[in-house]
Amino acid sequence: MSWRRDAALAATSARQTMSARGELVGRALFFGVLLLVFSRLWLVMAEEGRLGGVAAANFLWYLALTEWVVLATPMIYLTIEEDVKRGDLAYSLARPVSYLRAKFAEGLGELAVRCVSLGVLGFGLAWLFIGRLPDQPLALLWALPTGALAMVLLMQIQIAIGLCAFWIHEAAPVYWIVQKLNFVFGGLLFPLTFYPDWLRAISEATPFAAAVYGCGKLSFGTTTSAALTTLLWLVVWNVVNAGFVSVVYGRGVRAVEVHGG
Amino acid sequence: MGTIEVDGLRKVFSVRERARGLGGAVRQLFSAPSREVRAVDGLTFRIEKGERVAFVGPNGAGKSTTIKMLTGILHPSGGAARVLGLVPWEKRRELAYRFGTVFGQRTQLWYHLPAADTFALLRHVYDRDVTDHKRRLTELVEAFEIGPFLNKPVRQLSLGQRMRCEIAASLLHDPEVLFLDEPTIGLDVNARAIIRDLIRDTSRERGVTVLLTSHDTGDMERVCDRVIVINHGKLLLDESILSLRQTYIRRKRVTLVTASERVDIDLPGVTVAERAPHRTVFEVDLEVTPVDVVVQAALRAGKLRDLTVEDPPMEEIVQAIYAGR
Repeated sequence: MSWRRDAALAATSARQTMSARGELVGRALFFGVLLLVFSRLWLVMAEEGRLGGVAAANFLWYLALTEWVVLATPMIYLTIEEDVKRGDLAYSLARPVSYLRAKFAEGLGELAVRCVSLGVLGFGLAWLFIGRLPDQPLALLWALPTGALAMVLLMQIQIAIGLCAFWIHEAAPVYWIVQKLNFVFGGLLFPLTFYPDWLRAISEATPFAAAVYGCGKLSFGTTTSAALTTLLWLVVWNVVNAGFVSVVYGRGVRAVEVHGG
Repeated sequence: MGTIEVDGLRKVFSVRERARGLGGAVRQLFSAPSREVRAVDGLTFRIEKGERVAFVGPNGAGKSTTIKMLTGILHPSGGAARVLGLVPWEKRRELAYRFGTVFGQRTQLWYHLPAADTFALLRHVYDRDVTDHKRRLTELVEAFEIGPFLNKPVRQLSLGQRMRCEIAASLLHDPEVLFLDEPTIGLDVNARAIIRDLIRDTSRERGVTVLLTSHDTGDMERVCDRVIVINHGKLLLDESILSLRQTYIRRKRVTLVTASERVDIDLPGVTVAERAPHRTVFEVDLEVTPVDVVVQAALRAGKLRDLTVEDPPMEEIVQAIYAGR
């Protein structure tokens, strides 16, 4: 059955992620250093009254949430780009499993390991560096479903980037552009409320804001309806991206069937 | 019905031509000239159940393109093909359950995990029943002697061990046809011999049809009974390995080990291929002088300690076929 196959692929990928500890440790160290630096920065700015009366803790928790979403998303575009360039994708077509679906399942397995390990580490360090939870700690309970859907959305965007290799061979430049757009429109370091109105309006119309800002803003507190609206937007963006990725993949595979791998 | 039936199969690729110089590069931005390359050009052959066929040809002959079409990866430009009664590019998913593939430079094993984990995953990939999977896995672990390193991460295995696991993985779902593309590439002599024996024995025991491409003629001789030679996408030759030897052997090598340090045979069509003290290798053109005449001359030439008559290496035979001789 397909779901069992997907689960097996995800579980195998999760085991492989856990066995490649070096990358996990590297990401964890980066996450830790980032939180340490920004915790000092936010504390100084709060002392100088430059945070508009918002507690420094809320800002640090904002960063912990947004970085958690970004860092836990597997760099799946690299695998797909390599598979397209080396022709491995073509050979995978001779197996009774959809390449796209398999990559998605494998990505979920990797994502699950990173989501848990970086979540425990990041939230632990945020609490350690700033010494307290955000003003509305219960809002953090929404972080798990919101974060998970946000990571899946960013992973889907990465899949689409990887598939660009069908036409442009090197997907890295596309990734760099999308990564910067994600930093800006997603509000990775600063909440969108800090942006001028026009930029905020543009940002909110992108999937990056739904993913990164959608999760980060929980640090400033939320209501049930606001949290559900965020989740709904994430579902919508995920469906739209899934459709987009399927179309791109279908075109790429047709090119492989005609022109070879 | 043959297991693999290929009839007038064609594949034409459109290849962009690179323009020279800066001007050419700029022009190419607007219109890129392309030319057609006939990778496979009207190929026809038929393979019966349980046959082991070597599919050989020089680089760019169209071997991999043909295999890609037979596994449904690539759609042909013309002609027809059926594998196990199905058109591969129309029933790719359905057919994938019934064939196995080993592509020498690709892997289906998870690099950081033990091969056992990939084998467990393959049960789900091929929707196999738990009992059937366990039985087959036990058989393969025993036959391929992979038990001692089954639980070691793949990255720690030697290339030979990895290839044994790779072939075992491709046989786990009991395929009826096995496509092997350069399965012994990069392996040392011992590992190559093991892999060849495993493929041949598995095919004999289970009636698996094998289509093997390789540049190593040893693979062809040790594994297969029949050879299909192609070049420029066209069929050059399709016959048994035995008859290939009989038809294409026009030269033999006669090695003499003699009491005297040097020996000479003065016959037309007989040349010295190698010479060392007490040992001389002659190459005999059989169309000019039959081998028995050479042997008689050798007996007269001096006191013989040993005499060997050999066919030329398969490599030379295949080269001769490529060259159209």
